[in-house]
Amino acid sequence: MIKKTDQKVGAVLVVGAGVGGMQASLDLAEAGYNVYLVEKGPSIGGVMAQLDKTFPTNDCAMCTLAPRMVDCGGHLNIEKLTYSEVESIEGEAGNFRIRVRKKPRFINEDKCTGCGTCTTNCPVLNIAHFEDVDELGKVQLKEEDRQIFQQILSQHDINRESIIAVLQDINNRYRYLPDDILRHVAAALNVPLSLVYSLATFYNAFSLVPRGKYVIRVCMGTACHVQGGHQILQGLERMLNVPVGGTTEDMNFSLEEVRCLGCCGLAPVITINEDLYGSVTQAKLPKILKRYREEEVSVGIASEGVSDAKD
Amino acid sequence: MMPDEVIQKEANKAYRAHLLICAGTGCVSNRAFKVRDALVEEIQKRGLSDEVQVIATGCQGFCAQGPIMIFQPDGIFYQMLTEENISHLVEEHLVKGRPVPKLMYIPSVDEPPIPKLEDIDFFNKQRLLVLRNRGLLDPEKIDEYIARDGYQALAKALTTMTPEQIIDEVKSSGLRGRGGAGFPTGQKWAIARKSPGDEKYIICNADEGDPGAFMDRSIIESDPHSVLEGMTIGAFAIGAAHGYIYIREEYPLAMKRLHIAIDQARDYGLLGEDILGTGFNFDVSVHRGAGAFVCGEETSLIGSLEGRTPEPRIRPPFPAQSGVWEKPTNINNVETWANVPVIINRGSAWYTSLGTETSKGTKVFSVVGKVNNTGLVEVPMGTTLREIVYDIGGGIPGGKRFKAVQTGGPSGGCIPESKIDLPIDFERLTEAGSIMGSGGLIVMDEETCMVDVARYFLDFLRGESCGKCTTCREGIAAMHDIVADICNGEGKIEDIELLKDLSEAVRDASLCALGGTAPNPVLSTLQYFRDEYDAHINEKKCPAGVCRALISFRIDPEKCNGCFLCNKQCPEKVIHGKPKEPQIIDQEGCIKCGVCRESCKFGAVIVE
Amino acid sequence: MPKIKPEDLNKIAERMRRQTLLREGAGRAKVTVHMGTCGISAGARKIMSTLLTLFEEQNVEDVILTTSGCAGLCSREPMMTVEIKDHTPVKYADLDEDKTRKIFHDHIIGGKIVTDYALGKGSERIS
Repeated sequence: MIKKTDQKVGAVLVVGAGVGGMQASLDLAEAGYNVYLVEKGPSIGGVMAQLDKTFPTNDCAMCTLAPRMVDCGGHLNIEKLTYSEVESIEGEAGNFRIRVRKKPRFINEDKCTGCGTCTTNCPVLNIAHFEDVDELGKVQLKEEDRQIFQQILSQHDINRESIIAVLQDINNRYRYLPDDILRHVAAALNVPLSLVYSLATFYNAFSLVPRGKYVIRVCMGTACHVQGGHQILQGLERMLNVPVGGTTEDMNFSLEEVRCLGCCGLAPVITINEDLYGSVTQAKLPKILKRYREEEVSVGIASEGVSDAKD
Repeated sequence: MMPDEVIQKEANKAYRAHLLICAGTGCVSNRAFKVRDALVEEIQKRGLSDEVQVIATGCQGFCAQGPIMIFQPDGIFYQMLTEENISHLVEEHLVKGRPVPKLMYIPSVDEPPIPKLEDIDFFNKQRLLVLRNRGLLDPEKIDEYIARDGYQALAKALTTMTPEQIIDEVKSSGLRGRGGAGFPTGQKWAIARKSPGDEKYIICNADEGDPGAFMDRSIIESDPHSVLEGMTIGAFAIGAAHGYIYIREEYPLAMKRLHIAIDQARDYGLLGEDILGTGFNFDVSVHRGAGAFVCGEETSLIGSLEGRTPEPRIRPPFPAQSGVWEKPTNINNVETWANVPVIINRGSAWYTSLGTETSKGTKVFSVVGKVNNTGLVEVPMGTTLREIVYDIGGGIPGGKRFKAVQTGGPSGGCIPESKIDLPIDFERLTEAGSIMGSGGLIVMDEETCMVDVARYFLDFLRGESCGKCTTCREGIAAMHDIVADICNGEGKIEDIELLKDLSEAVRDASLCALGGTAPNPVLSTLQYFRDEYDAHINEKKCPAGVCRALISFRIDPEKCNGCFLCNKQCPEKVIHGKPKEPQIIDQEGCIKCGVCRESCKFGAVIVE
Repeated sequence: MPKIKPEDLNKIAERMRRQTLLREGAGRAKVTVHMGTCGISAGARKIMSTLLTLFEEQNVEDVILTTSGCAGLCSREPMMTVEIKDHTPVKYADLDEDKTRKIFHDHIIGGKIVTDYALGKGSERIS
């Protein structure tokens, strides 16, 4: 039998360990209550942990959330029941009886330190259903693209190790990574599409949007910086009327920064496709650009680099 | 046996002169290949093909003067060659035997040209170990490397030494990793050797990410076999059968030469199975990086090799215990590998005679920025900054005042003029608030703003942080915003303390060295150049005249003769005045792009 | 291509020695053919090619062969200077192919000065 009581002391149960649930738990725990924090997911944190910025202040979500997670995680008055769901509630204020179903997690929680080694060592790559490899491979490619893709693929071993080399070849061929082909990369190498995208967005060399015929890369190395590389970049932005990372409307030029080209002796340096120009000044830029506006320029370091350094 | 007829004939052919033209990236971009073609054509035209040989070598290090050529056996150094002056050069020097002074190196306007390579300060103050073959051989011909004692160290190691002896030799040589942290190489090898497992790997880290450093590119371009030889010795010592070379995609020429070198070494059986008939097997494969600074960090690099997202992971386990595919892996930098054959060939006792107490051998530095002779130099550890900047580097151009040297890339710091007599080794640089890093030395003069430099590095790191650790991802961005505010004249005096606080948090709470050393540029500039921060914050002035929000351009009517050049060049058309009269800049519309100052031949445009 | 053995490294190095020495500018001896306009018109080119052929035939690797401008004594061209390391340079004048051959065998290889053809010992330069 459950008896009604006036003395409402003891424990509190909070359902849901999002930012609200955590703050409530913390306030209660600080006030001296014993808190049971029940969370359906395997970790506390909730949706906010997946956000970058929050409305309306544009505060960093993680900066708001992280301290609360740490506090909740370590608070002696809060008992965390993650991967658990409330099954039934009986009784009334002051005297509840609650059944919580704790789902199996197949590890000994007392011994696990969260080192993460098991995650990296797991032989199975979990492929989400919407990334079904068979589905990805069904995306229709144009005949021309399909041939190019097959040709690139034939030059590499078919395994995860080759993924960056394959992406580089595609990127060199198209000057960007077309979305359809990325799906086929995932299917062909049998890796999740999410991994393909995470690599495609991680490296500076890759672009997900089409780039111009000539990619102008301005070296942002230290030597180039102290010799005025930044002014060259701004000069180009002005002349081409595109911001860094942009492409001109006629698809002729794309403007990019590059970390360092290793030609510091010639600073400041820019490259246009494979041609390298050293000791560039803003005044020389129009002349250099003119060359690419007017004609097809043969490219390739093996042929030569053209330079205005001696002008 | 192997002597292949053509090579034999070629090698035995006597020439009276060898013209060694530099074909490193720097010189190539200054049309070195065109100059070479013109040279070959001219020599043919004059019927000298049987007497004179033209060889394209790797980078010779003196990039600022390119394209350069060395005329042997006379040892004459020619610089800044163009297709136009080749005919004159051939006529004078090759036909008539008279060297051409106007194409020689001229130290300064009032000094005579220096004909001989060994008399030029830039070259004769250096001590070449790693770059021992630069400019002396064709990097695309393995025979030329072998002719200069190439692969002798490998033969010695494989036939006369045990792996333990090799490791001991490297240990007692005191060689420390040249990639940045300076961990003793021999010790690293010993750990990898002891780690259990019969499958082991070695990696050559050629993902030279530090902006302002290009020695790894240059070593591979000029002497790729020295790296392959070092790796093969290391593989034998550790017990690895496969090696990876992880090289930046931004270095196409280095990549090409590396592939040629690997193919040639395989042909000779110096890579592959049963190397030199000793039963030892080892091969390498080349992986191209795709432009991510964090891949220079060893655990990220391994991730990238395996096709994972290249984020650093927690250590231990160290790669020597669990690296590529969870197998024991030894990672060394290009320069470290290139040191190995020298140590095995000449012995650790000889090697330790160079350098300081704690740092042995030599170090290659790229001396760049505001210095007369920019290029690649190799000096013994313990050489002072003054020797590098003034004796080898030839001082600051335009008679400007020296301000600082930045070492160690984005993880390093700035060393001020007061410490210019500092002998460079791992410990001294750390004491001065910087690090050795991969060896970039960026010289800065009075026109370099140190606050702007700090902002530059933070911007770099902000873009290159992989985003795994919150402190690094958010902390560096926050520091950048504060320093950018200071540059824009919106800084507050409290910002300095906040910067120091943030620095501590970023340093302590980041997993890898990228975050761990990220505050260095800020801390070292704060330590030595606090006055510049104060000037930006309190007086809203940029003493060096760099930060755009705090400067204005003005034309000195005394110096301006109205040549009209700036007026024509100005993109905003805000320079007014009549031809032949002093010009005036309309401050309202000026975007401070600096074109006028750059184009003025009379120094009439002043920054205030 | 057959794989090489440790001892083959030395063979390759030996084969390439001539190039290595030339590039380092180091050698046992230095032979200078004076090739000013007057020297060339008097036949210095012939002397040069004779020497180059001799060097190849006899497999001479440690001698540097180079050219210089006019030696100032135009009437006695073609001329050459033979300088064995640590010895005084010797100038030869009025050369032809046979004389060159003899100088090559006796002096450059043998180390004995051919006094019949020698113009004089020493260099006019103060060094």
